[in-house]
Amino acid sequence: MSYQFKGGVHPNYMKSPEIPVTVITPPAQVIIPMAQHIGAPCQPLVKKGDYVTMGQKIGENPAPVSAPVHASVSGTVVAVEPRHHPLGDMIMSVVIENDYQDTPCTDLAPLTEEQLKDPDAILERIREAGVVGMGGAMFPTAFKIRGGIGKVDKLIINGAECEPYLNGDHLTMLNYPEQLMKGIELVRIASGVETAYYGIEKNKQDAIDLLNSLHPEKYGIEIVPEEVKYPQGGEKMQVKAVTNREVKPGGIPSGVGCNVVSTRTCYAIYQACYEGKPVIERIVTVAGSALKAPVNGLTRVGTPFGYLAEQCGGFVKTPRKIVLGGPMMGICATSFDAPTVKGTAGVLYFTEEEDKHVDNPTCIRCGKCITVCPMNLEPVFMYMYYSKGDFENMEKYHITDCFECGSCAYNCPARMPLTHAFKTAKLMFQAKAAADKAKAEAAAAKEAKK
Amino acid sequence: MSEQKEKIVLDVAYQPQVRTNTDTRRLMLDVIIALCPAAIWAVVQFGVSALVVMVSSVASAVFFEWGYRKLMKKSATIDDLSAVLTGLLLAMTLPPTAPWWLPVVGTFFAIVVVKQLYGGIGKNFLNPALAGRAFLLASYALTMGTYAIPKALKGTVDGITMATPLSYMYGTSAMPSYFNLKAIFLGTIPGALGEVSALLLLIGGIYLIVRKVISWRIPVAFIGTVALLTLIFGHNGLDRGGWMLYNVLCGGVMLGAFFMATDYSTSPVTLNGQLLYGAGCGIITVLIRYFGGFPEGVSYAILLMNLCSWAIDKAFHRHQFGVSKEDIAAEKAAKKAAKAAAKEAAK
Repeated sequence: MSYQFKGGVHPNYMKSPEIPVTVITPPAQVIIPMAQHIGAPCQPLVKKGDYVTMGQKIGENPAPVSAPVHASVSGTVVAVEPRHHPLGDMIMSVVIENDYQDTPCTDLAPLTEEQLKDPDAILERIREAGVVGMGGAMFPTAFKIRGGIGKVDKLIINGAECEPYLNGDHLTMLNYPEQLMKGIELVRIASGVETAYYGIEKNKQDAIDLLNSLHPEKYGIEIVPEEVKYPQGGEKMQVKAVTNREVKPGGIPSGVGCNVVSTRTCYAIYQACYEGKPVIERIVTVAGSALKAPVNGLTRVGTPFGYLAEQCGGFVKTPRKIVLGGPMMGICATSFDAPTVKGTAGVLYFTEEEDKHVDNPTCIRCGKCITVCPMNLEPVFMYMYYSKGDFENMEKYHITDCFECGSCAYNCPARMPLTHAFKTAKLMFQAKAAADKAKAEAAAAKEAKK
Repeated sequence: MSEQKEKIVLDVAYQPQVRTNTDTRRLMLDVIIALCPAAIWAVVQFGVSALVVMVSSVASAVFFEWGYRKLMKKSATIDDLSAVLTGLLLAMTLPPTAPWWLPVVGTFFAIVVVKQLYGGIGKNFLNPALAGRAFLLASYALTMGTYAIPKALKGTVDGITMATPLSYMYGTSAMPSYFNLKAIFLGTIPGALGEVSALLLLIGGIYLIVRKVISWRIPVAFIGTVALLTLIFGHNGLDRGGWMLYNVLCGGVMLGAFFMATDYSTSPVTLNGQLLYGAGCGIITVLIRYFGGFPEGVSYAILLMNLCSWAIDKAFHRHQFGVSKEDIAAEKAAKKAAKAAAKEAAK
């Protein structure tokens, strides 16, 4: 039994879990960006000409909010230089010439029986294996779990996969149910709680049945079937669905005693602890109308988008956009040369077909944005005050509570750039806060001088 | 392949990358579809003259919209079908005997003065069709108050024109037997084009709610309030239930509640605000019917509530996700305390 949040939309799901996972042949050169997480970017540990093995650590930063990166193939480092990052910038990356030997790295041994029961050993391994939030947020998982110890009484595993197109979580549940549950058990032990609640949308009934038949209670897991509604997989929506608690405005789940970890992250934790395998590959759903058919490809980290499309049958139409992740919250890549990273759950090649662009969007004040907002906001007014640059009223209408799920803009018949505006507004608020802080500090320094 | 890639310029946009299929044009088209049964019924009952009114109204509305935007060098907007809808809605409020130029005058006022001068679709604060009707009612009261005999009553009633059920309801003479509830529900009565068949308007309204073009809140609050108030106040000597049904089914309540009061740009967007707005429309309608100089009050009720929309939306600004009842109470208490402290300080 799950609780429901207000609002939400039912987009055209376009999912294809019936397509089996194919292994994408790694490219001749992989590009491993040094920033694949929120937090301090890594410093490269290798230089041009070095030989690296598959799974070898090639980048690290000792800062607490960070995660090391690993080589996804074995071969020779041919460049350590800024390259296109999927999020747009040029980021320091390690480029490895693939020798197609996949010589494994033995630095990380599987954990022993005892270590598998020791929260510290598990957390240490999660960090070492470079596990980050693989639902797309890419927040370092070890830091998140550690921060929740003692505060968190409900651990929630996110299996909603509410974004259209994406199948990675669903296929992980179907293909590796036992491994997945062992991974969840590890997160549960590391978090120090009795039960992990696994929220899964009811459109994955086959996965729910399969997991239930494998005695989830053995691992301390309780499956919570959830209503099929976007954005069910949002952190705050998951907390609401499972516990009926509502995260306070501006707060995070641990503020109400919850922690949310994604399905794919749990599987990565299983691989890290039981197999000694760092995060170097994941299931990426490759789809969109520019391709002939969707592919669920087991893809190495560092595979460029142009190469990935070729491997998935090439283009039948000219793509206009490359969307990373799902289409509701996914952002656009700027280059075919940018690679997949740990958080890339999907790569969608969209044409004009998906892009319902209009030249002069005009709000008709229908209020359909209000009925779908899961945060109970009023996008029509937020947008109005945004276009006037009225910060006071933007704040009054809680623009900073928007988590950019895109439901309002999805549902907008006039095609207003609502989410775009709110994202920009939030950045403006951040800049304003930073400027205010700097001003205050400067004033304080002046005062101190006197 | 790589050469081909070089030529492709990738678009970049913030999320979401997909959009619903329902656009403005589709919504307007849905309202037009919902009006069709009632419009066709009007042509069946009143013949070619009804068709002339509708065609002239729609054509002139589209012409004014196109002409104004062209003249002012603004983007063309006739594609969104909102002008077609305004024209059709205005026609629905006119009597079938109206000369062809009457809707032209009305749509000029509706499209140019009420809608376009304020910036076009989404910017007007009065319902264009109703404002057009109000303008015509003030300027051509006699023409606007003359109703042709419907086909169903030809032979029963002599002459060319006749009074509507509403004028009997609030008049002194007794209601003729051909104005029974069944006739009013099915629509074998005289009236403006869009106030004849309650049944067909109801079907159109339900279509709109099912298609999620409008929400149930405004029509239900509107009709519910009219029903409740007339049930409570009644009319000397009449059966209260029958009186209530006459009030709901006669005149413009159905057309107003489903098609006029739900106009996007002139009604509140907040959910509870919509309930209050609907109830307000109902109250003013009943007040005008009981105490006003006109037999019918729907159009003025809606126009008056249009003016309140903005204030209603401001008043019903809702709390965001994560704010509990306790938080709201605490916030209120804190405000009260601050006020009291300020007062104390002032002393």
